[in-house]
Amino acid sequence: MSKRKLRGTTLSDSAVGVILILPALAIFVSIILFPFVNSLFMSFTNKTLMNPEYELVGFRNYQKVFSDPTFLRTLKNTGVFVFFATLLPFVFGMIWAVILNNKFRGAGFLRAVTLVDWIIPGASISFLWAFIFDANHGVVNELLKSMGILSTNINFLGQSGTAMMVVVIARTWQMLPWYMAFLTGGLQGIEFDQIEAARIDGASGPQVFRYIVLPGMKSVIIIVLVLGIIGNLQHFDIPKVLTAGGPAGATTIFSISVYRQAFESYKIGLAATIGTIWAALLAAFSFLYTRKAA
Amino acid sequence: MFEKTRGFKIFTAIFAVLIGIFVFFPLLWMINTALKPAADTFKINLFFGNATLQNFVKVFHSPDILRYMGNSLFVSLISCFAATLVSMFAGFSFSKFHYVGRKTFMSTVMMAQAFPQAILLLTLYLMMQKMRLDGSYMALILSYVAFTLPVGTWTLKAYFDQLPDALIESAKIDGAGWPRIIFQILFPLAIPGAISIAIYGFVWSWNDLLYSLTLITDASRRTLAPGLVMKYMGEFNSNWAEMMAASVVVSAPVVLIFAFLQKYFIAGLTAGAVKG
Repeated sequence: MSKRKLRGTTLSDSAVGVILILPALAIFVSIILFPFVNSLFMSFTNKTLMNPEYELVGFRNYQKVFSDPTFLRTLKNTGVFVFFATLLPFVFGMIWAVILNNKFRGAGFLRAVTLVDWIIPGASISFLWAFIFDANHGVVNELLKSMGILSTNINFLGQSGTAMMVVVIARTWQMLPWYMAFLTGGLQGIEFDQIEAARIDGASGPQVFRYIVLPGMKSVIIIVLVLGIIGNLQHFDIPKVLTAGGPAGATTIFSISVYRQAFESYKIGLAATIGTIWAALLAAFSFLYTRKAA
Repeated sequence: MFEKTRGFKIFTAIFAVLIGIFVFFPLLWMINTALKPAADTFKINLFFGNATLQNFVKVFHSPDILRYMGNSLFVSLISCFAATLVSMFAGFSFSKFHYVGRKTFMSTVMMAQAFPQAILLLTLYLMMQKMRLDGSYMALILSYVAFTLPVGTWTLKAYFDQLPDALIESAKIDGAGWPRIIFQILFPLAIPGAISIAIYGFVWSWNDLLYSLTLITDASRRTLAPGLVMKYMGEFNSNWAEMMAASVVVSAPVVLIFAFLQKYFIAGLTAGAVKG
């Protein structure tokens, strides 16, 4: 490696490379690496937002969190949310991708309009679904009543049984286009000859799908599911705006729980503990992702 | 792709209708409610015939919403510009240079999108308080840049990988310095990739709720998404007509970008975007 010369003369090539990476490195260290390590550290303290002083408390936060029934509920809620909000948009996104992959006129346009559901802000999406499922005037209540299925309105967002359902439906609506876009790419990558050959051998549509299309899309499906699970483990907007984690904690998933501990109860130490447990779960899925992506 | 048997046709028809309604009806309902006179908000009818812009007029006459919109535009433009530039530098560096730690940092950057954002926020919030940056957009913008970096760096690295090293060598022989090689020769060739990343960065910061809700505590500096949430949610009698109009307004910029730059948009999306 040639040495770096004085100002006004040229730098060695690798020095240029290092200089170019510095802004990214600085931002990465200050916004991601340091905050992450520091938050892990805070999970062993009793830090609050009100008081700059704090002490180390060992594993006391962890004992507290694991013996708290609301944490177990958060864990269960997150599990339910991640499971359904990944599975449903995946399945319907796949069917939608197959339907729109029949080259009929307007298919491209329908695909583009479908993507609008995904690109608009989570705040808009939450407002929209809050209105659709509104207890007093929501279109779902009105339609069910006019069809004679309901006699009195259901307070969908106000009762624990249905609130999570609405959150999952809204998230499914938001993410279906994303799965559709990825899976369309996967569908278009499948060799047409193979399908032709199978069909000549007398394979039915479902058989073609089961034995040729699905295996051909295996890597896309794995990546999309792992990314989808990571995205759902991270998700915040819809349960925050639609239900604020309620009623009575019924839609409190990890992100909401950390947010509330930190910014509503001001218990940074406890929030960091919940966050650390959450990060461990995420790390497991991310590990899967990097293994599969590599 | 599939044989058009009767079973396939029935299957397609049923799901086309069901998924079609699910995907398109809510969008229609948002626009419909926004365009109906406020008195008709709770009627199940379509706006045709008595469409009105009165709900939009109310939204645009609200001084706080206009301010939030300006703030959002400011933050999103700066962060998408900064994110693109930093990603260009990093992508170029990863692609064409060799130095100690390059590979390690490359894979670490990729993992950055899987760090739980809420846990980073705890420390970022405390850092801002300590540095008395509560009222500034600094932390917000840097966070958006950080979350655009993984996708941005990797997408642009792929662009620079396609450019032959000979391009740099011959420019050097011609006596061009590094700034000239980077800004006048190489970056123009990566512009399609840069546009994808700029869009990705803009949409990320425009749509974000978690960071903008927590890192901006000063009401006059709030951005649009948290501004609307704080303005409308938790009201006892929600003003749905105005809320739907506001939802259309906050969605409009990203939808317009999408409509005009679809090709770049999809490129950014399939680059491995995880949307929280």
